[in-house]
Amino acid sequence: MPGIWIYSEDSAVARQLLTAGLELKTSMNQAVGVLTPNSEDAQSFVAAGADKVYVVRGSNPWPESYAGAVADILGREEAAVVLAGGTLRGKDLAAKVAAAMQAGLVTDAATITYANGNIETSRLIYGGLAVCTEAVALPAFVTIPPRTFAEAPAQGNGAGEVVTVEAANEDERISVTNVCPIVRQGTDIAGASRVVCVGRGLNKQEDLSLAAALAAAVGAEIGCTRGISEDYHWLPNDRYIGISGQKVKPELYIGMGISGQVQHVVGVRDAKVIVAIDTNEKSLLFEAADYGIVGDLYEVVPLLTKALQK
Amino acid sequence: MQKLLVCYKWVLDEQDIKITGDLSLDTSKAKYKISDYDKNAIEAGALLAEQHGVAVEALTFGNAAVKQSLKDALSRGLDKVFWIGDAAAEQADAFVTANVLAAAIKKAGQFALILCGEGSADAYSQQTASRLAVLLGIPAITFVQQLSITDGKVTAIRKLGDCTEAVTVTGPAVISVLPEINKPRIPGLKQVMGAAKKPAAEWKLNDLGLAAGDLTPKVRKLSVQGYVMDRKKVIFKEADQADNVAKLVASLAQEGLC
Repeated sequence: MPGIWIYSEDSAVARQLLTAGLELKTSMNQAVGVLTPNSEDAQSFVAAGADKVYVVRGSNPWPESYAGAVADILGREEAAVVLAGGTLRGKDLAAKVAAAMQAGLVTDAATITYANGNIETSRLIYGGLAVCTEAVALPAFVTIPPRTFAEAPAQGNGAGEVVTVEAANEDERISVTNVCPIVRQGTDIAGASRVVCVGRGLNKQEDLSLAAALAAAVGAEIGCTRGISEDYHWLPNDRYIGISGQKVKPELYIGMGISGQVQHVVGVRDAKVIVAIDTNEKSLLFEAADYGIVGDLYEVVPLLTKALQK
Repeated sequence: MQKLLVCYKWVLDEQDIKITGDLSLDTSKAKYKISDYDKNAIEAGALLAEQHGVAVEALTFGNAAVKQSLKDALSRGLDKVFWIGDAAAEQADAFVTANVLAAAIKKAGQFALILCGEGSADAYSQQTASRLAVLLGIPAITFVQQLSITDGKVTAIRKLGDCTEAVTVTGPAVISVLPEINKPRIPGLKQVMGAAKKPAAEWKLNDLGLAAGDLTPKVRKLSVQGYVMDRKKVIFKEADQADNVAKLVASLAQEGLC
C-alpha cells in the first residue's frame, strides 16, 4: 500500500506520529500504516486510526536489527512517506532504512506538510541559529522528535488489519549485552517545571550550593551548560541542556553565569519565562531572556534566593 | 589489525554567523572549522591507533574550502587525509554525502573501523554513520561513549537517552561517537609543524565512479531563516542589586511564578 508509514520502537512515540500521519492522510489522500516490533500495541494503533499494522517479529530483541526487515516491508508496500520516531534508536534505524531504499531523510523535523508533490519540513540548523525549510522527494523519510505531537486518540471503531511478519534479524557479527537504564540523580530535567541552570560563570564546584539553594527556594531542578558537565564534570552529563543534550520546557528557567551560546539556548527555547543573571551585559542569554539582572551571581543569587524563600 | 579511518566535515563556525534584519544569514565573517563532534571522532581514532600501533587516516568531502582543513586535521594525530573538494558538497544531503564517502572508502582500502562524529555542527542530521554502514555492508554502532579493541573485537558502550548497552562487533564496523567519549587534543606547535610533512591525497568526484543519480540530493533546501526569540528582554542593571532583585521578584510575581 503506497501511503504514509510510521515506525517507532517506542509505541507512545508511534501514536504521537499517528497524529502527524493522519494529517498527511487527509492532505495526500493516502492510507496510513504502522510498523511495530511490539505486538501487544498493534490494536492501539488500529484504534487510533491506522489502516494497516505490521507487527515485525524477530528473534533478536535489539531494535536496530530490524532495519533490514523494515526496509523490505516498506519497499514491498512502495511507501510514499515514512515517519520515524526521533529517539536515538529511531534515528539510527531510519538512516539505515533510508540508505537501503536510496531515499532522502530529514532529521528532527518540527513541522511536516505535503506540498507540490513533495514532503516539506522545517528543522533547526547551525546549532539552533536558523530554521531550514526543505523539500524531500518521495519516498520521503522524516524523523520527528518525541513529544512533538500529542498521541492520536483512540476512535473506538478502528477497522485496520494487523499482519504479523517474521523478520530474520540475527547478525552473528554483533552481540549486545549489559542493556541497563541510566540511574539518574534526581528527577529527569526534561520534564521539570522549573530549572535553575549554571554555566562557566560559576568559579568552583562547591559553589553549586548557591544554585542548589535557589533551586530549593523555587522548587527547581538543577541543569547546566555543556562545559560544566563535559569539561568540568561537576554535574552528570544528563544534566546538560542544549542541542546535543537535554531540551527543557519549564514554566521558569533561571540561568546564572551563562554566556548564552546558541547551542545552549536552543535547549531552553520552549521555556515559558527565561531569567538570566550574569556579570557580562553582553551575555547572549540576555538576548534570549524575559528578565535579567546584570550583576555578579555571587551577590545576586543569594539575594534572590532569600527574596523567593519568603 | 588493519588501519583506521575517520570521516570529518569542514563546516562554517556558527558562532560567526550573523542574523541580518531580514532574517537571512550573513556568513561573510564566518570562518571554517572541523565540526566539533568530528574532533572527538579524530581523537578516538588517534588514541586507538596509538594504542594498537596502526595507522589512522581521514576522509573529508566538502567544497573547495575543504583543502584548508588538512593542516588542522593532520596535526591531531592522523597519518593521512583523503579529501574531495567539490561544489557539489554545497547542496549535498546525507544521501549524497554517504554515497560519496562510501565510494571513497572503497577506493581508499580496507579499514578495521570507520569513525564518525554523532552529527555535524551545521546540519546535525546524524545520518552519515548509519548510512555508510548500509552502503558498505558492515554493522553500525552509533552513539558510542566508550570504545576499545581487544583481540580484534570491538567493544562499544552506547548511550541511548534512557539506557546504555555494550555492543561487541567482529570485523569492520562504522562507529559514531558522542562528545563525551574524550577531550580532543589541542595541537601544539610541534604537531602543527609536523602536519605539513604528512601526506594528503586529493580525489576528484569524477574518479569515484558514481552515477548522476548518486549525486542528486533527495532533500532540497527551500529557505534558511535566522531563528528569532520573541522575549520580553526586561534587563535590570542598576548598581543596587537588592533593588534589581526586588524588581525581578515583582515581575515573577506578575507572571504568577512566585
